[in-house]
Amino acid sequence: MQQPYDVIIIGSGMIGAMVLRELSRFSLKIAVIDKETQAGLGASKASLSYIHRNHINPPGSLRARLCNNSQQSYRKLSQELSLSYNELDEINIAFDKEQEYLVKKRMEWALKNGETSFRLITNKEVAKLEPHLNQNFTYATFSEDHGLIYPPEWAFALIENAKDNGADVFFNTEVINLQYSDNKIWDIYTDRGKFQARYLINAAGLYADYIAHMAGDKEVQQFMTRGTFAIFDSAIASIMKHIIYVGGVTPEWSQSISPTVHGNLILGMGHFKTPDSPTDTKVTQEELDIILRMGKEMIPTLPLDDLITSFAGIKTTNNLASDGDFYVGPSTVSSTMFHALICSPGITAAPGIANEMLNLLSDAGLDLKEKPVFKNTREALFHFSEATDEQINAKIKENPQYGHLICRCEKVSEGEIREVIRRGASTIEGVKHLSRAGMGRCQGGFCSPLILKILCEELGISPAEVTRRGKGSPEIAASDNEEEHND
Amino acid sequence: MINNKNIIDLDLCVIGAGPAGLAAATEAKRLGIKNVVVFDRDEKAGGILAQCIHPGFGLQRFKEELTGPEYAHRELEAALKQNVEIELNSMVIEIKPDGIIKVASAKGLKTYRCKSIILAMGCRERTRSNVRIPGTRPAGIFTAGKAQRLVNIEGFLPGRKAVIIGSGDIGMIMARRLILEGCQVEAIIEINSYTSGLIRNEVQCIHDFNIPLLLSHQVTMIRGDQRVEEITVAQRDSFGKIIPETEKQIACDTILLSVGLIPENELSRNVGITIDNSTKGPLVDNFLATDRANIFACGNVLHVNDLVDEVSFEGELAAKAVAAKLTGNIVKMAKEVKLTKGANIGQIVPQQLSYPIESRISIRVKEPTGPTTVKIGEVLKKRLPFSRPGEMIVVKLTGAQIEELAKAGSSREVSVE
Repeated sequence: MQQPYDVIIIGSGMIGAMVLRELSRFSLKIAVIDKETQAGLGASKASLSYIHRNHINPPGSLRARLCNNSQQSYRKLSQELSLSYNELDEINIAFDKEQEYLVKKRMEWALKNGETSFRLITNKEVAKLEPHLNQNFTYATFSEDHGLIYPPEWAFALIENAKDNGADVFFNTEVINLQYSDNKIWDIYTDRGKFQARYLINAAGLYADYIAHMAGDKEVQQFMTRGTFAIFDSAIASIMKHIIYVGGVTPEWSQSISPTVHGNLILGMGHFKTPDSPTDTKVTQEELDIILRMGKEMIPTLPLDDLITSFAGIKTTNNLASDGDFYVGPSTVSSTMFHALICSPGITAAPGIANEMLNLLSDAGLDLKEKPVFKNTREALFHFSEATDEQINAKIKENPQYGHLICRCEKVSEGEIREVIRRGASTIEGVKHLSRAGMGRCQGGFCSPLILKILCEELGISPAEVTRRGKGSPEIAASDNEEEHND
Repeated sequence: MINNKNIIDLDLCVIGAGPAGLAAATEAKRLGIKNVVVFDRDEKAGGILAQCIHPGFGLQRFKEELTGPEYAHRELEAALKQNVEIELNSMVIEIKPDGIIKVASAKGLKTYRCKSIILAMGCRERTRSNVRIPGTRPAGIFTAGKAQRLVNIEGFLPGRKAVIIGSGDIGMIMARRLILEGCQVEAIIEINSYTSGLIRNEVQCIHDFNIPLLLSHQVTMIRGDQRVEEITVAQRDSFGKIIPETEKQIACDTILLSVGLIPENELSRNVGITIDNSTKGPLVDNFLATDRANIFACGNVLHVNDLVDEVSFEGELAAKAVAAKLTGNIVKMAKEVKLTKGANIGQIVPQQLSYPIESRISIRVKEPTGPTTVKIGEVLKKRLPFSRPGEMIVVKLTGAQIEELAKAGSSREVSVE
């Protein structure tokens, strides 16, 4: 019988990945389990991905505490793990009295939460900073240094770094039951066998309530809302230099537009709807119309023809905390299982939540003894589109595949695609989220047949086994032979 | 700073080795231009023709019916005969205003200084987001051209039971292709009251194969978590409003989108070339010169053509223009003429007449008509049996007619009544 794990984390989104990486500092046997093919492909990927300043969290809330100075943590991590992280200034604007109330409230919260850069800004100043913005607003505030990340890149890197430091990682592994046995060990039953652990962390995101229920914690309830996002062509991204937020601290409504860390423009999110299930990420005609109309209201010159893609993201609130706050703490049935029930701004809070989890585990009796050697760095993924000519030429000299561009829109080379597959990507979307191939204006029209072939070569699988995003999503039809074989 | 000794000098750089680029390079060499290189990002020359294995190509240019690969082969042979140099797996990643281009390949980044540049990058397919189709985002949604590549080049089937959104030429051709491969095609959904491709494709691909064609229908939802499961369509009235209670579901595992093509002008935009809002290609004169010095455009990067033969003709014209400019053997008219869009005109190429040379004027209408007349100012009137947005109208103007138009004013209207 294998030695049980000290800690198993369920879920490799930004929270699970951050907790795993921080736990990998200590002399512990740890693992993460996820039903997805890769880290950060659940709720983490479908969000605005801002590292917010502390102006959207009510003073005194857990959120406010865990989001305190997240930018500092992200800056440090981006250095250590060679990850893209940008900071932009933000302008909050209001077009009417109701919105003014909300923008003022944010300013008040920011000051109470210890933010120092928030100030009022005149229409004239805004016009100079953002000439394309609808200038008919009545009230505006300005603040500095809001972060931007791409969560699937980050979650992947955090997991990769934890793995380097000895953590075990199990993808394509779905938890189907949990049992706490008399010898104080959690039995974790999955579709790929049983795991055992002394402590359990529930970072299952939209599925955190399902996981809680499996553990007998029937009280936990999560309430989902779905927002819509639209991504615009990088060719027009230069029309915006800041994060623009209009009104909106109510959970039902919010609207924003900003550049992304990859140099596109992201528009989110309009009115929120209640989805049918955690997989109900459809964008309805009505939602699409609303978000684009909203975009036009904010930026009258926004060229709607340059829309690249739209998608929906789901966030949750829970019944263990009030007013949309997080619950990060023990389950009601056991002091060795901890839930991370989070809402917006979960990604901002991830470093804070990881720290909180360490404290909770320590208080619950886990011995956190630092490893003699912790490797806090990781080799960067090469990105042709971000490299200098000298770097590109050096890389091509090393391996000519880095000069063979496969994705023409985002300028991604064959070398980069093979590299992300060797480092863990196994699906068309997995490759996309890490290499950015297929993320551009043609949405994989030219490159995805090539990526399919590379996946086959690298993984030694047949074309019919290549999936878009894992089980049940074959990219092409099985050939007649294979179907007969399966019968 | 660019290190001078690492710069390679060229008389002409052609970007793209599809039918436009090959014809341009061949003609350029034939006209005596020396240092000509064609760059293409693909591993083979011929562009998208390689995957167009159906016949119907070359009737004008070669006076016989060829398949896409056969047409490409003819053009490639002609190019090789003229010793055209083709750099494959090489992508031009930047054009600078002074004729400097940067090319990426497995050999490294290279810089060239070009006396002239011909843009022949072709076009790309419009995506689901370009036409804003709601729903989930499962596997099984392909643009028609991507599906064509999978079937005809890679030998894979995209799925078993398909619905095709849009009635562009590739969509109609792929509907027939999928049926020939043993798939089911449940329907072709077209938002307009008419198909958007060529009549001959509508007849030979849809009607001859009894594929249900749902005109004036709109997709209101795509469903499926992992792989496409179902599509919902609804009928539209003549104002484009959805008619209540006409929604119906069609089960399918595959969706092909054939909702139009867009000239691929990212390089052109970045070097500051003005793009025509209707063609989405560069604004050009009747020598296919863009508004940036020594940069010309031809083929589908200029405007989406319906026949490849036209693309090749444009390639040759661009080469003639380069030759004329390099030798200084070219005289602009004292007064240039802008062609403006009159009644029922969707797009015109060229948008400007600057030289008194015989010129082909390509026109697309906005709405289909019955018997009609195409007019250019007072100098040209031509009867047509019908007009449709899917069929490009090509008329010729002589040098004398162009001079006459110029005399009449600085802009003349094109119309299809």
